[in-house]
Amino acid sequence: MANNPSQLLPLELIDRCIGSKIWVIMKGDKELVGPLRGFDVYVNMVLEDVTECEITAEGRRITKLDQILLNGNNIAILNRHFMCKLKKMRLHEKDIREELKS
Amino acid sequence: MSGGGEKGSMTTKTPADFLKSIKGRPVVVKLNSGVDYRGILACLDGYMNIAMEQTEEYVNGQLKNKYGDAFIRGNNVLYISTSKRTLADGA
Amino acid sequence: MASEEESAVKEPLDLIRLSLDERIYVKLRSDRELRGKLHAYDQHLNMILGDVEEVITTVEIDDETYEEILRSTKRTIPFLFVRGDGVILVSPPLRTA
Repeated sequence: MANNPSQLLPLELIDRCIGSKIWVIMKGDKELVGPLRGFDVYVNMVLEDVTECEITAEGRRITKLDQILLNGNNIAILNRHFMCKLKKMRLHEKDIREELKS
Repeated sequence: MSGGGEKGSMTTKTPADFLKSIKGRPVVVKLNSGVDYRGILACLDGYMNIAMEQTEEYVNGQLKNKYGDAFIRGNNVLYISTSKRTLADGA
Repeated sequence: MASEEESAVKEPLDLIRLSLDERIYVKLRSDRELRGKLHAYDQHLNMILGDVEEVITTVEIDDETYEEILRSTKRTIPFLFVRGDGVILVSPPLRTA
């Protein structure tokens, strides 16, 4: 694997996202979007101008955060944030979840 | 200088850099359970164990408790955030 | 100077070290709270507590009104070993300078 030059390591992929908006889906009903400033080998991440979206019993709660260190422990999926607005994201995630189930 | 405002020149800021830059500052710590702790960050370690001062405990946005000092075990931590924060409840 | 160094909080666990032989508050998973005297601890936050008061909070749903009823059960335990992985938060007593 190591001598295959076309192989991109997962962490290299994340490294290429530094400076651009990244969409993080956590285990459980929570997502975050914001520019990635840095990360470490555990994929703990520093994010900026974060929009956090969580599903609670009372409905959807949006939280704005200045700068955060996100614990890598509960991260499920990372996606470079190209096109989706937060509203649409739920639909995307639903699709992803259904795909994972089948 | 830890330039927090410069967004144009996006320099890398690793978790270690971030932790160094927030010691002694007001922070919000969110746990996996959804509970928030707001207070002054005294110190932390590599496990994300956190020592905080003047800690306030918020459950569903409501103040539930206050602690002079508090130790939070790192495995419960979802994120540590600098304190500027606004809340907007959506439908 | 030496005593000043002793009482300095350089890492989070120092906060626990400074609470030895004091009564502390411990918040545990599954809505359990403990108050007791801290006899010993380790890096996992396994702890030995003495003269412990345990409060367990449960939520019950009223059959008719569907209201949530918070019920807390108290008990005292003379000596207790707490496994560290259940610990969420530890708060020492207010220290005076």
